[in-house]
Amino acid sequence: MNREPLIRRKTAISYKTEEKTVMRGYNLSELAEEGYSFYDAMFVLFQNRIPTENEEKMLKYEMGVFLEHSMSPSAVGAIGVSAGRPNLPVCVAAAVSTFGGVHGPGAAHGYMLNKYLERAQKEGKTVDEMAKTLVDEYMDAGRPVMGMGQPQHIDSDPRAEPIHLRQEELELEGVYLEFQRALEKYFHARRKKEERSYVGVNVVGSGNTALMEIGFSPNAGWCIGSVVRGFSCAAHALFNMKRGRAWGASRNEPMVQMIDLSMIKYTGPEDRIVPKQEAQQEYARKQKEEGEYKKWVI
Amino acid sequence: MGYLDKKKTDELNKIKRERKIGNLDSPKNPFDYYEREYGTVPRDTERAPFQWVSEVAYKNVHRIVARGYDTTELMEEGYGVIEVLFVDYQARIPTVEEGQMLNYVMIMALEDGLSAPAAISRMVARSKTFLTQACGASIMAFGHAYGAYSAFGNCLEHYLDRVDKGEFSLEAAAELLVKENRHDEALGVSGLMLKDPAAKRMIARAEKLGVAGKYIAFTKEIVKAAQNAFDEPVDLDMLGATGATMMDLGFTPEATWAILAVTRSFAAGAHYIEEVEREESSRLGQQLTPIEDYDGPADRPVPPLSDRNKYAKSAICRTPDEWNTRFEEMKKVRGSGFRIVEEIQDPSKKSGIKKVGKL
Repeated sequence: MNREPLIRRKTAISYKTEEKTVMRGYNLSELAEEGYSFYDAMFVLFQNRIPTENEEKMLKYEMGVFLEHSMSPSAVGAIGVSAGRPNLPVCVAAAVSTFGGVHGPGAAHGYMLNKYLERAQKEGKTVDEMAKTLVDEYMDAGRPVMGMGQPQHIDSDPRAEPIHLRQEELELEGVYLEFQRALEKYFHARRKKEERSYVGVNVVGSGNTALMEIGFSPNAGWCIGSVVRGFSCAAHALFNMKRGRAWGASRNEPMVQMIDLSMIKYTGPEDRIVPKQEAQQEYARKQKEEGEYKKWVI
Repeated sequence: MGYLDKKKTDELNKIKRERKIGNLDSPKNPFDYYEREYGTVPRDTERAPFQWVSEVAYKNVHRIVARGYDTTELMEEGYGVIEVLFVDYQARIPTVEEGQMLNYVMIMALEDGLSAPAAISRMVARSKTFLTQACGASIMAFGHAYGAYSAFGNCLEHYLDRVDKGEFSLEAAAELLVKENRHDEALGVSGLMLKDPAAKRMIARAEKLGVAGKYIAFTKEIVKAAQNAFDEPVDLDMLGATGATMMDLGFTPEATWAILAVTRSFAAGAHYIEEVEREESSRLGQQLTPIEDYDGPADRPVPPLSDRNKYAKSAICRTPDEWNTRFEEMKKVRGSGFRIVEEIQDPSKKSGIKKVGKL
């Protein structure tokens, strides 16, 4: 059996021999045998270190609370893919891939905090001052402030403030929490001043703050958040594969299905005659001249 | 929108009937094309409207609830990912020992060097994309050979069912399983872990924690049977140890597959990061394929288009013999797909939720 690696790379993450698998210098078996937790292993993987007990507790809380979120883009993605009945991992892959610029944008939040913290350091401003600068710059530009607002949990994200509180209880308050708390303060104040509705902190705003505080980079934090959601999305896909109807369009189910034909609402151009090919050139030129098509271009 | 009204429909169809559109009015068509409706299907008021149905979790403005447990409350009470996995997949809180065992399994499943998930993640990383796409892609490495937890678990269940039905003893079932699946990558026994004790240590830990059950017991019998049947040395491998342990923890083969694929995806994220940090991006057209690696047809001139009929070879086979001859010929064309025979099966086990949605 050929046991050569699929690709050759210099790597500082791990090596694997016939005798053992070693991650950042630690034999995985020994790490598990010693009683370290999976959360500890995350610190070893991404930060090359064993965390303090409280850091481990914080990560446990954050990952656990983020794991399940019922119907979000990630779960819906997994369920949608499962309708065609591919292998289960494909559904999970799709779910994790839904995390982008809007759904769980952990890295974007992290980069935002880092950018303004760097400015605070260079410009000699306090964290509080720089948080106000961030809020003003974002809101003046009409840009959404990362980590604020959630389209379903409109009062406030049920996970968000408890994460902040746990971080404080575990005495893991550092520059990130100070920044995030100040950001929220100025964000709320400005919206209030502008007589706009209350928009609470979301799980990225609080959870990613905690992740950054306990030493994860923006992308490592994003990885942890996005991938842990994959666990629950797999459960949702599996439920639909085992109990739901394939294709999601059956007329024999008592409930109208996800892609039943009646679920389609069309708002495009009206039905029209396909031009004969002999008339194509003239037809196409006229269509371009009239330009009505432009309003449909996406 | 609904269907277009009858007058407009008739007008459109009349124009089309008179113009004629290709073969659409052929009498061989099992329909009159020019009688078709336009517009979308009206809303179905006879059945309950569509809703996302789940027995796993729900949420409202103020709560996220998995299998009845508020997830924030779960965390406040000190539970974590390990316990929520039991909640989501098994609708129960695990015992302390079960939790400890899953923790152990997940640490072992986290990293595997530069194997397929890491390699895929790194390849995706080179195109300068989001980390999440690389993590997602890495999960697709888990199939019925690499990380074949579904295949392994379902195989165990198939033979154990037959034991339960009294067809044969556990030992005989193990022997039959090995006989019928000796070349299957999902056997759980191989020469991969002859020098690495990790697989056996996992089973020892499961036994020490008191969570080992019928799947581990059966897997041990499979190891014995394989060692008797194979000429070369073999032993329990990580697939067998991990799969059997997960099933003794109560996870289905599919749940095991998903949980462990996702677990590896964390490390795939680290590989994405390292690839971006240490390597360069790949541009379209950048990578060369050396001619030394090529064993297809030798370089040849492209025939003039006007000579197409002289050079073209039809694939149309008029008889089964012709078909068979071509099929065998095409097997020699690597990359054509003729050497692969597989069954694309529906991997799900049931279909339909009749209890949901009655008005």
